[in-house]
This record gives sequence, structure tokens and C-alpha cells, in this order.
Amino acid sequence: MIARGRLISIARKEMRHIFRDWQTLVVVLVMPVMMMFLYGYALNADAKEIPVLIEMPSPDPETRAVADKIDASQLFAVRGVVATAADPAELFKLHNIKALIRFPPGFARDLRRPGGTRVQVLIDGSDPNLGTIIRNAAEPLLLGATLQVLGVEQPKVLDLRTLVLYNPEQSSALFFVPGLMAVILLMISALLTSVAIAREKELGTMGQLLVSPLRPLEIIVGKIIPYVFLAAVDGLLIMTVGRLAFGVKIAGNPWLLATCSLVYIFTALSIGLLISTLVKRQQHAMFAALGATMMPTVLLSGFIFPVASMPLQLQIVSHLIPATYFLEIVRGIILKGVGIHELWRPLLILSFEGMLLMAIAIRKFKVKL
Amino acid sequence: MEPAVRIASLAKDHAGERALRGISLDIPDPCLFGIIGADGAGKSTLMNILATLTDADSGSVRALGRDLAEEFPAIRKDIGYMPQRFSLYQDLSVGENLDFFADIFGISGKAKADRMDHLLAFAGLQTFKNRRAGLLSGGMKQKLALACTLIHHPKLLLLDEPTVGVDPVARRDFWSMLKSLRADGITLVVSTPYMDEASLCDSLVLLHEGGILAQGPPAQLVAAYPFDLFRVEASPEARVTTLNYPGSQEPPPGFALVYPSGGSLHAAESLTASRRDGAAVTAEATSEIPGVQSEDRFRRLRSAIPQAHTVTRIEPALEDCFFALLSGRMRMGPKLPPDPAPAEAPPGGES
Amino acid sequence: MEYSIRTEHLTKSFGSFLAVDHIDVSVAKGEVFGFLGANGAGKTTAIRMLCGLLAPTSGRGTVAGFDIIRESEKIRTRIGYMSQKFSLYPDLSVGQNLRLYGRLYGLGSKDLEARIREMAAFLGLEELLKRVTGSLPWGWQQRLSLACANLHRPEILFLDEPTGSVDPVSRRNFWDLIHRLSEQGTTIFITSHYMDEVEYCHRLSIMIDGRVAAMGTPRELKRDSGCATIHELFLKLVEKKPAGAAA
Repeated sequence: MIARGRLISIARKEMRHIFRDWQTLVVVLVMPVMMMFLYGYALNADAKEIPVLIEMPSPDPETRAVADKIDASQLFAVRGVVATAADPAELFKLHNIKALIRFPPGFARDLRRPGGTRVQVLIDGSDPNLGTIIRNAAEPLLLGATLQVLGVEQPKVLDLRTLVLYNPEQSSALFFVPGLMAVILLMISALLTSVAIAREKELGTMGQLLVSPLRPLEIIVGKIIPYVFLAAVDGLLIMTVGRLAFGVKIAGNPWLLATCSLVYIFTALSIGLLISTLVKRQQHAMFAALGATMMPTVLLSGFIFPVASMPLQLQIVSHLIPATYFLEIVRGIILKGVGIHELWRPLLILSFEGMLLMAIAIRKFKVKL
Repeated sequence: MEPAVRIASLAKDHAGERALRGISLDIPDPCLFGIIGADGAGKSTLMNILATLTDADSGSVRALGRDLAEEFPAIRKDIGYMPQRFSLYQDLSVGENLDFFADIFGISGKAKADRMDHLLAFAGLQTFKNRRAGLLSGGMKQKLALACTLIHHPKLLLLDEPTVGVDPVARRDFWSMLKSLRADGITLVVSTPYMDEASLCDSLVLLHEGGILAQGPPAQLVAAYPFDLFRVEASPEARVTTLNYPGSQEPPPGFALVYPSGGSLHAAESLTASRRDGAAVTAEATSEIPGVQSEDRFRRLRSAIPQAHTVTRIEPALEDCFFALLSGRMRMGPKLPPDPAPAEAPPGGES
Repeated sequence: MEYSIRTEHLTKSFGSFLAVDHIDVSVAKGEVFGFLGANGAGKTTAIRMLCGLLAPTSGRGTVAGFDIIRESEKIRTRIGYMSQKFSLYPDLSVGQNLRLYGRLYGLGSKDLEARIREMAAFLGLEELLKRVTGSLPWGWQQRLSLACANLHRPEILFLDEPTGSVDPVSRRNFWDLIHRLSEQGTTIFITSHYMDEVEYCHRLSIMIDGRVAAMGTPRELKRDSGCATIHELFLKLVEKKPAGAAA
């Protein structure tokens, strides 16, 4: 069915195209690293030194002591203290703060009364993630600080001890490196193959290939091989940069990770091929590939937003996307160190999707113009 | 002997219009066969069908003894096809392009090296072996493209307007390459918009609106020219020596066509009854001595073309036939009778 | 004599390679001037300099009375350019292409519509204004291309291999239009590889390796060289070039 010589000749030619077009090559090798650093900072969920302002109508020693404790915490940085905040919105704008902590007049006095007192925290909700962090942290911090100032021992009723598994430092690098693997491998494979085939159509060279004794399968497989390598190199690059720059270690078996990545690359290449059979121009191939891979992978695979919190319709879509399964596998291997026993199901689905798409692509590949 | 290509009632629609309306045609083996015709006459459609890139809607093509629709994978081994647009890899070198096409046709080892050397020499590209194809001049690109289509010793070569954008010197070289391939026994089918090239072919077909308007050897087409043809020139002393006759202007009385040709005008006089139907060449018409000026003709041309100075009787060339055929003033049957040795081989034919 | 194009020792070198080597070309107003040469002889480089797209290495030139080095902006509003690779948008209609080019050259709406009607009538495109450009035969696209280049009433039309891949009938019609434009006073500067049609030019130059090897009316050129056709002369000039570099 496939003549090895012809296969190699196609693959070698494709390799030459890749290495001659150094601009694309640079993009292919530099982009993953750049994306890692971009995501590394943009997705940084480890909040620190959130700027806050404190309203303190009666600056008695107790209130000041509580404020000092807030400032001393890692989470908050007190930008200033005002006597009255008549127009809180103005303060948010003016001082670029994320929260305003309002002590009532006579806070110290009321503390010791039976009814206690109230503290209001105004939060800038424009960044929901940050808002949630402030809300969750403010109450225990204020309560703890106040009790300490009062010298009251906290009654031990419930001792809540949380232990974070798999990503104990809650480092976001461990979170985005697998996600980027899924995005970049898919993009390189799907985008570059579809563009490479569309280019042959645009240049008219596809006609020359079709008029030769080459079989469609030889053209397809021959063109795919170089991109498998390229995608594999990118995979290695991501893991290396992840390890060196972000300290991400693979908890599980690296060979299993490599095997699963190859299955995923195969699936991604099938998507690229399918696109290339449907379009005639490089531009269309590029937009189709970006639309079909980038968006769904970033938004719906669980890379950024958890699948479980999506509406049902999107969850269904999410379960159709290869990246969803690959993400499950990569996170499983890198973070949890699990093996094939836990991952056979997503791996099977991924392989099935790949073969289905490839079969459709080969069927749709036209032997005439 | 079976012809290299036998086309029977071939029809094809393209973009909602009839590109080919049931044409039948034999291309002998071997032959340098030219396809000519106006834009949109169906030349490229026919080429694409012969190259097995497009399927016909109806009718059949047998090429090299095989049915094109049924056995196209096998036929592709024996066909070389050079599309209209330069279709090689511009980022690969001359040698790499040849190497690649050798590989996909399964030519390897010594056979490949020999064939590549031979073709580089044939195309005169030895010194450019390592140059990127994209950096070659127009003429050299076409020679490389021809070399690539020859890599697998095809028996049938299809060339779709191969010399467009190529300068006269390179074009002449290219055609001498085609001639030598023909001499080696290959059948070549070439479409061209240039009549000087068409006149180099063994045989021609003129397509018009998807049908065959005329076919036969160039000499036979020229011989069937039904008019007396005159060249009208301006005075050498005139400031503007180039004559023009707007296509919208009616020809002078008694003349069928007047059109510019190489700075002068060609005027076809429609009076000579003996040549009307394009039946056969009569000795009487061709034996007339060129250069004789008829007073009456001169007067009529003169009154229509004020700058006319000299009127010379000339032999028609292929381009004159092309104009006459397309104007509908000259007719030829789709099939000429099997040539009972013409009385006299008219000049300007094959060399 | 009023000149549309004049160059003196116009030269362009790329590194050590002399693409255009001291050429002196003068084209009178309303003249149809054929600018011939083999592939790579330097024609395109010369045209780019005349259009103000490329700065000469040395020498001078004026186009439509403006200096090609200092006043290239002014030149560009007074010339029209059409190349073999027609820069038409195949997915737009004929009328839309015309409107687009008219606006690009700064024609006002009223003037533009009148001018489009005028050009369409002149080129016989009236029936086709609503047709999608890509669906038209090559010869018609060529006419449309000429219409686009001529919409803003340029003094000079640069036509770079406008007739490649065009059948004899369309080619003849095209030259018909060229001559009518010339009669209206437009200067035509045209390149072609088709030696039969260049005899329709009023005057010709033949470039060999960056130099002008011959210039004159087709008749003069043939008479002086003893060649029967320009085609023959062209081949003769190209053939003798290794020996006759100084000629």
C-alpha cells in the first residue's frame, strides 16, 4: 500500500521546506517558550500584597494594632489610613486599591460589649478571582487579629486542617504547563499540516503530485512525519522550560507521557488533514485550524475553566475535544504520577478520535482536482 | 496503429457553462500536437482531463491504449504534465526538485543520477543545479519544469501554455527542446496562445466555445485560407509608420477582414470565389505572383485607409487563419478527408 | 517636442551587479513606446525607477515633467500601472473594482461615476459591470485592468507584459485600445515578449544586460539591422551579446 521510497521522498521534501522557511521555524520553536512565560505571569493566581485602604474614624491603640496586623499579613498591603471615607468609590479610583476595610467609630469600645461590633470590607469585584481571594481571607484574618489584640484565646471548637494534594505549593506553573502542552501540540500539528497541504494546492504543486504515481496515503503520511517530529520537539521544549524555569517535575512515568503525547499529536494531525481537505488556501486553512483548535482548547478543555462548572451544552462539547482527554492524561501523569490503570479510558477515547478523524480525512482526500 | 490519444464525444461543464461540448479527436503517435483557441475556448479544461486531474461529464478518452477514466492510476506513470502556472517548489534547488520528482516516480540509484545529469544537460541547467528554483529567470523555470515532467520517461507529455511570460530567446530554446523530444518518439500535446509557436506543431486543433472549429496540420489550415491577403503599409516617410485599423470599423467594400499585423495592416479580400469554401487550395490562387497590385483593390483600400501607401499580396500565416476562422468567414469541417497528397505543399509549413 | 519620459544615464546597481546601466530613453507625449528585453535584462528595475518606486544609483530622469528622485509622489498621481499579474480583486464585481481603484486615486464620487461610465463604454465593459471579476475570461480581466489603471486619466500608462497568455484576437483588440488611448494623448510605455505585437509600437528599445542595445521605430530598426522582423533583430542582439558588450 505504501512504498517506503516515495514516503521518504515526500517527508524529506517537507523537511526541506520546514528548514528553508526559517521564519516559521523560529515561530514554531520560540512561540511555545514565549507562551509559557506569558501564561506563567498572566495566570499567576498566587496573590500577594493586595493594596487596601483602611478607614479608621477613632484611631485608638487597639484599632491601630488590628490594622498593623493586617498590614503585616502577606496577602494585604495597607496603602493608607483615612479618618472618613465619604465617597468610597472615589477612594478606589484615586488610590488604586482592591479593598477598603472600614472600622466603625468606637471600634475598640464596642469590641468589649456583649453585642460586639461590625467591620465592613468593600471589595473591588471587577476581578472575580481576586475578589474571592480577598473575601475568603479577610474574615479569618480580621477575626484572628482582633482576638490577638484583645488577648483572648480562641476557643478550640473545630480545628480545620486542610492539606493540598498534588500541587502542595499551589503553584500555577503546574497548572498551566499541561494546558500549554495541549494547546501547543494541537496548534503545531493541526495548523502546520493543514497550511502545508493548502500551500501545495495554492502553488499548483498538488496537481503535480496527483499526476504522479503517488498514492494519497503516501502523500498524507509523508507530509505528516516531519510535523510529528516538530511537535515532539515542542513537547520536549515545553517540559524542559517547565522544569528549568518553573520547577515543574513529572511525578509519573515520562515514557507514558511521551506515548500519550504521540497519540495526541496523531489526533491533532488528523484534524489538520481534515481541514486541509476542505479548504483550498493557506489563509483559510490557518483560520480554520485556529478556530477548530486554539479556541476550544483554551476555553473548553478545562485548561482555564473547570469543565464541571460549565453549562451542560458546553460540557458536551468539552467531551468531544481531544484536548480535554489529553489534559486529563497530562495532569494525571505530571501532577498525580498515576499510571496507565487510571488513564486508559481517556487514552482510548483519544486514540479512537484520532483514528476516526484520520479515516475521514483519507476518505475525503481528493485524487483529482 | 492506435493513436496516442483518442477522444470521443467528450463533454464537460465548468462553472455552470459548457467548457467542452462533445468533441472527438485523434492525436497520432508520435506527434507534436497543438491546441489553440481564444480564452475560455476549453483548452485548459481539455488539458486537465487529459492529465487525469478532472473527470469528464460524458464521452471517453483512450490514452496510450488505456481508458483514462478507468485506469488513471496506471496511465499517470506514462504521462508528464506541465501546468500553466509554474508548479515546482521555489524553495528547493534545481537539483532537489529533480531529485524529488525522481523519487516519487520510483527512480533511484544510478538510473536517477544518470537521468538527472541527462535532463540538466538537456535543459542547459547544469551550472544552476544548486540554485533555488524561485531565483531562476522565467525561461529557466520553464525549462526546469519541463525537465521535471520528463524525469520518468513519459510517453505522453501535456504542456499547458508553457511559454507564457518567457522571452523570445528562451521560447525558441524551449521549442527546440520540444522538437527534439518529438524526434525521440514522444507525443506532445501543447496549448499555446502564440500562433508562431502553433505553426511549429505537426498538427493543430482550434477550439472555439468548447467545440472544434478546425483541425489539421498548420500547412493544411493555411492552405485552406479562403481569401486573397494583402499587406497594407504606410509610407516610410510618414511620421507614424504604424498603421491601425480599429476592430469596430467595418472593412472596406469587397474585403472580409482588416486588422493590424506587425505595424502594417492585413486586408483579406473576399472576392476570389475559387477559394470561398475552404475546400482545397487551388493552384491558381497560390500561383499568383506576390506583389502584383490591382488598381481596384488599391483604390478601395486607399479610400478606407488614408495612410495606405503600399499594398502587397502576401501568403497567409497561421495567425491570419486564426482570425478568419474566428470571424466565421472561413470554415473547415471538423474532420478533413484523409489527405490525398496536396498538389503542392504550400510554403510556411513544417520544416 | 514635449517629452513624457526622459532619462539621462539612469543607472541602478545591486551590489556589484549593474541591473540598469546608464540608459538614455526619451518618450514623446502620446507615443507608444515598446520597452523590450530578455527576462532579467533589467526592464522591471528600470520601470520601477521611472515609477518612483526605486531610487536610482546614479543618473537622472523625469516622468511627466517631475524628477524621479525628488518628486516621486507627484509622479505617482500622473501615471497608471498595469502588470501581467493584474491586481484586480477576483471576488469583487467589475464595477466594484473600478470604484475601488478610482477612490484609491482620489477621484470624487461624481467624477468617478462619470469616469467609470466613460471607461466602461470605451472598453466595452458596460454589460459586465455587475459580473464577478474572477468569472470573466482572461481577455476581459485584462481590459478591466487597463480600465483601472486608466481611470484617473494618467498622462503615462506603464504596461508590464500586459498581453501574456492572451489569444490573438484579444491581443489585437487590446492593441486597438492602446492606439486609441495614444491618439487621445496618453503616453504608453509597454513591455512584451511577443515580438509580432511590438511592431505596433511607434518606437522601441531593446535592452540587453542592463543597456539599451537598440532604439528607434520598428522600421528604422529593421532597415538599419537588415533584419526582416523585430523578432529576428531581437535574437541577433541577444546572441551577439558576449562579444558585443561595447557596441
